[in-house]
Formats: sequence, C-alpha cells, structure tokens
Amino acid sequence: MTPPTRRSRGAAHVLRRLAAALGAAVLALVALGAPAAGPAGAVGAVHAPIIGSGSTWSANAIQQWIKNVWSNYQWKISYSESGSTQGRNDFANGTADFGVSEIPYAIVNSNEGDTRPNRQFAYMPIVAGGTAFMYNLVVGGKRVTNLRLSGQVIAKIFTGVITTWDDAAIKADNPALALPSIPIVPVVRSDGSGATAQVSIWLRQEHTAIWDAYCGKVGRPMVNGHCGVTSNYPVVPGSGFVSRSGSNGVSGYVAQSHAVGAITFVEYSYALNAGFPVAKVLNRAGYYSEPTASNVAVALLQAHINQDTSSPDYLTQDLSDVYNNADARAYPLSSYSYIILPMRLEASFTEDKGLTLADFGAYFLCEGQQQAETLGYSPLPVNLVLAGQAQVDRIPGGDPVIKGIAQCNNPTLDPSDPNGNALAKKAPMPSDCDRQGVVQCVAGTGGAKDLPLEQTANNSDPAGASGSSGNAGLGAVGDGAGTAGGGGSAGAGGDAAAGSLGAQDQSATGDSEVVSAGQDAASLAMAAASPQSIPAPTSSAATQLAMLGVGAGVRAAALTPPILSKRGGRRRGRLSALAGAGPAGPAPGKRLS
Amino acid sequence: MTDTALIERAPAEDKPRRVKTAAGAADRVFRYGAHGSGVLVLAIMTLVGLFLAIRGAEAINAAGGRFLTEQDWEPNSGRFGIAAVLFGTIAIALIAIVVALPLALGTATYISEYAPAGIKSFLVGVVDLMAAIPSVVYGLWGFFWLEGNLLPVARWIATNFAWIPIFKVSRFDPQDPLATPTVFTASATLAGLVVAMMVAPIACSVMREVFAQAPVGEREGALALGASKWGMIRSVVYPFGRGGIIGGTMLGLGRALGETIAVYLVISPIFVINWEILSTGTNSISSLIALRYGEASSFELSALMAAGLALFAVTMVVNFAAGIIIQRSRSGESS
Repeated sequence: MTPPTRRSRGAAHVLRRLAAALGAAVLALVALGAPAAGPAGAVGAVHAPIIGSGSTWSANAIQQWIKNVWSNYQWKISYSESGSTQGRNDFANGTADFGVSEIPYAIVNSNEGDTRPNRQFAYMPIVAGGTAFMYNLVVGGKRVTNLRLSGQVIAKIFTGVITTWDDAAIKADNPALALPSIPIVPVVRSDGSGATAQVSIWLRQEHTAIWDAYCGKVGRPMVNGHCGVTSNYPVVPGSGFVSRSGSNGVSGYVAQSHAVGAITFVEYSYALNAGFPVAKVLNRAGYYSEPTASNVAVALLQAHINQDTSSPDYLTQDLSDVYNNADARAYPLSSYSYIILPMRLEASFTEDKGLTLADFGAYFLCEGQQQAETLGYSPLPVNLVLAGQAQVDRIPGGDPVIKGIAQCNNPTLDPSDPNGNALAKKAPMPSDCDRQGVVQCVAGTGGAKDLPLEQTANNSDPAGASGSSGNAGLGAVGDGAGTAGGGGSAGAGGDAAAGSLGAQDQSATGDSEVVSAGQDAASLAMAAASPQSIPAPTSSAATQLAMLGVGAGVRAAALTPPILSKRGGRRRGRLSALAGAGPAGPAPGKRLS
Repeated sequence: MTDTALIERAPAEDKPRRVKTAAGAADRVFRYGAHGSGVLVLAIMTLVGLFLAIRGAEAINAAGGRFLTEQDWEPNSGRFGIAAVLFGTIAIALIAIVVALPLALGTATYISEYAPAGIKSFLVGVVDLMAAIPSVVYGLWGFFWLEGNLLPVARWIATNFAWIPIFKVSRFDPQDPLATPTVFTASATLAGLVVAMMVAPIACSVMREVFAQAPVGEREGALALGASKWGMIRSVVYPFGRGGIIGGTMLGLGRALGETIAVYLVISPIFVINWEILSTGTNSISSLIALRYGEASSFELSALMAAGLALFAVTMVVNFAAGIIIQRSRSGESS
C-alpha cells in the first residue's frame, strides 16, 4: 500500500505493457493494415481507480470480473448496482466513469424522457443473458421446479389478468401439475430498471393488446398508439403486486420461504444463486425453453445489431426477431447488456482512468467471457467481441492489450467458421417433453436443477413409470427433435424402463419424454393430482416448550432487576412487605437484619 | 430595614438605575459568536427551504393544486402529487410512535427510577448504543428477519380484529386455508416497527434526562405523604417530565418522518392511499426520493424537490410544536 512501491510496480507494469502494446500494434499493422491507430491523446501512466454504476441485471458478471482483475492486476474498480436508469444518469452527470445499462439512451417509444448525455460516449456489449421468470411455488409440500409458461400467460400474469395459479391457461401449459388455488404475487422492480425495460419492449411488441389494456388500468398514456416502453414498472394499487428495488430485492423476495406464489423477472444468474427454478418459456417453435447459455446464444442469432459506426446507437440491439426466433431451442427474452464508455476526457475522466477502463474492457471481452456460462449468462459471440475490442481501443488514455480472438477461449468461437457461433451450434435440441401439448419434463430448472428430492418428480414418478410401461411401443420420439437433452434429467425411476425402448433412444434417459398427450396425460394428471397437504407448521411440542422457556426467561430478565433493587432500596420495610406477597418472595432473614 | 429604606427612597428616584457593564473583548467575542451561530442556523434552515422551493417550483407550477391531492407519481405523464406519499409518511411515523412511545417511556422510567445503580450505567449505554446503530442495519434486519416473523402476527390481527377498519386486509380471507401470507409483507406496519426500533432509543434518552431532573424535595415530599413509589412517579416525575415526554416523542416523530433507508429497504412502494396498514404496500416521501433521485430527469428531480419541500414543512411544524410544548412545561422552563 505504500506509494513508492506501488508507483514503481506501476512503472514496471507500464513498461511491460508498452512493450506488449508495441508488439500488438506491429502485429495489428501486419494483419489488418491498422485502421484506427488507437487513441490520439496520451496514454495513462497508472491504473487509477474507476467507478461504475448501473444495471443489476448484469451485475453478477461484472462483480466477478472486477474481483478477478483486482486479484490478478490490482486494478481498483468499484461498481454500484443501482439499476440501469441510474447507471445512465450517473454516467450522464459525470458521477460514474462508466455506466452499464440494458437499453440505450433515448430508446424509442419510451415513457421516460431519457436524453443522450452531453458527454461523448459509446456503447459496447458486455455479456448476453436471459431475463428469467423465477418463481416460488409449492404443491403438496414440494417445490415445483418444472413450471412452463407461454408468453401470453406471462403477459397476463404481469398485467394482473391471471391472478391465481390454478388458472386454466396455466394448467394448459402444465398438464402434469396439480396447481393450487393460491394467488399469484407478481414481484416487479420499483427502481428504474433495464430488466423492466426489456420486458416492456417484449410486451409491447409481442402482446400488444394485453400491454395496452394494462396501460389503461394504470393510467399511463399511450406512446405512438401503444402502451410505452418503460423502465419503471407500473403497478395497480391493491392488485397484490409487490415492488422491490434491484435484482437482489426481487429475487430475494421470491426466495423467502413465505413468498409462495411469487414470480418475478430477473436475470437467470439470480435464480441460480438463489437456488430457485425459472419458468420455461414457450418459443415460436412450440417448445418451452430455459434461459441457459446455449439457448440464449441460439435466440440471439436473430438479434439485429446496429452496424452503423457513425450512429450514436452503434452496436445497440434490435430484438424484435429474437422474440420470434423459430429455432426450437431459442429463449425468447434473451438480450445483450451494454457498458457505456466515455470517449472524451471530461467529467473527471482522466487518462489514468482510461487506462484502467480500457484494460478492464479488454479483459472481460476476452477472458471474462469464459466465465459467463457458469455465472448464469451467455458469452458474447465472436463478431461482438471484435466490435467491442475496437470500442475499447478508442477509450482515451487507454492502452489495452487486445488479444486475438483465438487466445480468448471464447466458447462461441468455431475455428472452422469464424462468423458462426459454436455455442449455438452445439446447443442441444429440446427434449420432446418440452414441446407444447406434451406432458412436461420432470427435470428441475434454474437454480433448482440439483434438488431431486424437492422436485415434483416424486409426484410424477408413478406416472412416468406407468407411462413408459404402457407406451414402450410408442418408441418414436416425436418430431425427431428429442435427442434426450436436459442433461440426463429424466425421472429417477425411468432409466430401466427407457432401456426397453431400444437403440432408438441412444442416450436412454428420456422415458417420460416419449409420453404423448391423450390417455397418458389423463393418467399422469390423475397421478400428479395427489391430495395437497398444506405445509404443516413445523412447531412441535419441544419447540413450543422451548418458546415457553424463552418467554419465561425474558420475563424473568425483565422483572428480576426491579425486584432486586426494591429489596436493596431505602424503603426496605414497606417494600419488602409488599414483595412478600409477590412471587419472588424475599428472604425473611434479610428483612430482619 | 431594607424595606423602610426602599420605601423612603422610592418617591425620590422614579427611574430604575441603568446597569452598565464594561463588556471586555472576550465577552464581546463570545456574545457575537453565540449570536452569529444562532443566526447562521436559522439562515441555513431558511436557505434549505428556499432551495427546495426554488428547485421544486417548476413541478409545483406544472401540477398546481393537484400536487396536494393527486396520489399517483408519474411526473413524465404530468400526473403526480404527494397525497399518497405524504399519507404513507405520516402513517409509518404514527405507527412507529405508537410502538415507540410506551417502549421509551417504560425504559426511561425503569432506568431513571428503578434500575439498581450497578446496572444503570450499563443500561444507559445499551440504549445509547441502540441509537447509534445505523438505520441501514435496522432496515436489513427488518427485511431479512422481521418481515417473515411478523407474518403470523399480522395474520392473527387481520383474522381477529378485521372489524377495526385499519386492521382489515381486503385481499385476505381468514376462511381460506390456502390464503397466502404474502399479502402481509412489506406493509406500513413493518416499516413502522422498524422505524420504532430507531426512534425509541432517542425518545428514551430525552425522557430519562428529564426524569432524572425531577426535584428530590418533591419526590421526598410525595413519599413522606405516604405515596408508593409508583404513586410518587405518577404525581411528581411524570408531571415534571411531561415536557420531556412530549418533546422526546416529537423528536422521535421528526426522525420517523424523515427516516429513509430502513423504510426504503422494507416497503413495497405504491402510490395510493392505503388505509389497511397490515397489507402490502406503502410509501414515504424520503424513500421515494431515495428511490428515484438517482434516475430522475430534471423535471422529475424538480418534482422530488417539491416532495422534499413538503416533508421539510411537515418536519418543521412537528419540531416547532415540540419546541413550544417543551418551553411551556415545567421541566422545559429551566432548559
């Protein structure tokens, strides 16, 4: 921490970096004929601490990267998870060196006045991910982990049209679940949030009528004929909606044990961290899909990125075709998250800060992407990494070591096809049990994959067994799409039965997947409709006795000091006479003495 | 002797003798210093109010009279007012005071009158420590612990006392075995209880100081006349300390009105007047400002400033009222 050592270390570091940069520059010259020769101004001397602010959606990834660069290089970066809207504002006001936001400034059809700042800035994608619908639902004392929802049902839930879990529309999505008649508690963001903005963009485009009707209910004006895109989710008072600030606020609320019936929209990583399932969402191909890294990558193949380098919105996304992606694996609510980079030395942004920011950017575009999947995000495809590296190179004061894409070990890189996305190519096709109209898979989702005991799998096991025994002859996996994905996720009892299906099903995991709708669904539904027991209160005689004991202890602790003090008080005679009648019973000997 | 002397001299000299003091340099510096800081405090207060008024003027002009009656908060749509947030602020503060007042009064009475000398200083320290805990800690405690544990209590109250209008929860049906307890989360009661934990130590400190000043002669007089200890406290300590009780309560109320981060953490903000204090959703001006100021456009910021001005005015009124009450009471005269 002493300044001299730090400075000398910094100087050595700079020398090393200069050498590396020279080498890189020479390489770049040779390879590309050097388009823009980096920042025109001077290069920062030391890695000054920088401050960022914004999205909580991508915060889990950013915080991990910040931790990594701190432990490896001691670059001090602090990031405040304040929501995308505040991130954009903090950047515009100059209180943050960089902002992180799901949506760009001045997004079209917005309810909010969100003008572009006077600072010169550029967008750069940092990571992809899926806005997941994390829920807390308990049936018969067991946590439901395989809920499926169509987009329409989600739209109706978050606009207060569907209010109980046993609604016919939800049942239609979930033939295997005996859903209870408890109210749905939609949990939304109370702060200005990019996740809200993404959901509202999706609602406006895909479920226009439902979203427009909701605007009428909450008294929001229409924007260009339809209910606007908003970062502040409107709530009808008294409708049972709960508003919480931050992704941690909403996911923390849903994860509370008493919040049964709650559902929220939040990035997939938060569900993983909380150990809670997410709803599989119906895509255009008729399959329910989960926002895994590969499903998000598949969906985002249809994202239109602004390629106009002169536009202020260069590199921003247009997701309209992502929502409609006809691939069976696509997760409809996939999107990229963006960092807002300063492009001029102003508002306390210095060359030294530029050095840190450029190096940080170069780090997370390259090495950082490897971690995206384990964190619950999806790595950026190669073309966006390259475009992002060009943006990082423009940061004033920066001198980033831009590594070639081959050195990054980016999971999306396919050496044989540099423009393709290997992750999307390798993405497993959905199981047949993820198809619409087919009894759903029993495997858990999100953060509840590894909780076999808590799943409703137990509910469906007998059904799965009967289904497979009754349908061994059905063998053929519907649509040819069901190559038994889901990571060996079928019911525990199924493997042996599935073996009888023979070589057709080579991974031999998916007995319940071959069950088609019809009579089997009826038997399944009956088996799943086990009598629902409300989770019994956990208090036993022992705990009640313990509580009584604690109560008595507290009372004793409160009453003993005054009684003791009375005995020691100056009005001894009178008080002790009084106290003699009381329960404490002073020692008579003491009174006499 | 003096009497006769005065009477004799009275007709001769009509005017009282003018007292002249030769104020030294030190005296003058002290006097101007004290005077100056007094004026400075008032000036800063005025400037804060003025600042809020100027910054909020744009929004108040745009909203007009509806600023006081509109419940919704949508500055971008031009529909915004403080009716709901002001109601929520006062509701939370009142719940906090209703809980904190008996707690503080009991604690102060015990510490000043009953506690043995040995543990008295320890208890004073504990209470002061409670006052020193940052409010965000109370907020986290409320969010992660109290909320879940308050649910059965809220459910019981809503089941048995629903005939009292404020305890009714319209979305809760006691007959329904599947009724979700989530309708009781993030309520005004929860926020009020969290704030009460913060307010009680402050009110308690004020009350304890005043009780300790109750004149020993009067205490002994009461005891000599045959009063029990409780009788003495009722007839001497409480009447003497009435100013302290009210003043401490008002001070606590002032803090409860302005409490920000703890409320921000536990509530689910809504923009409607919610009379059902046990049901989900409430709001307060300060938490609204904390929630929105960072992401506000300039007009929204102006609206927030206007809301802040309203809070400023309410807090001033409460504090002035407290000041007047304290001054008019016996214990306040000396202070």
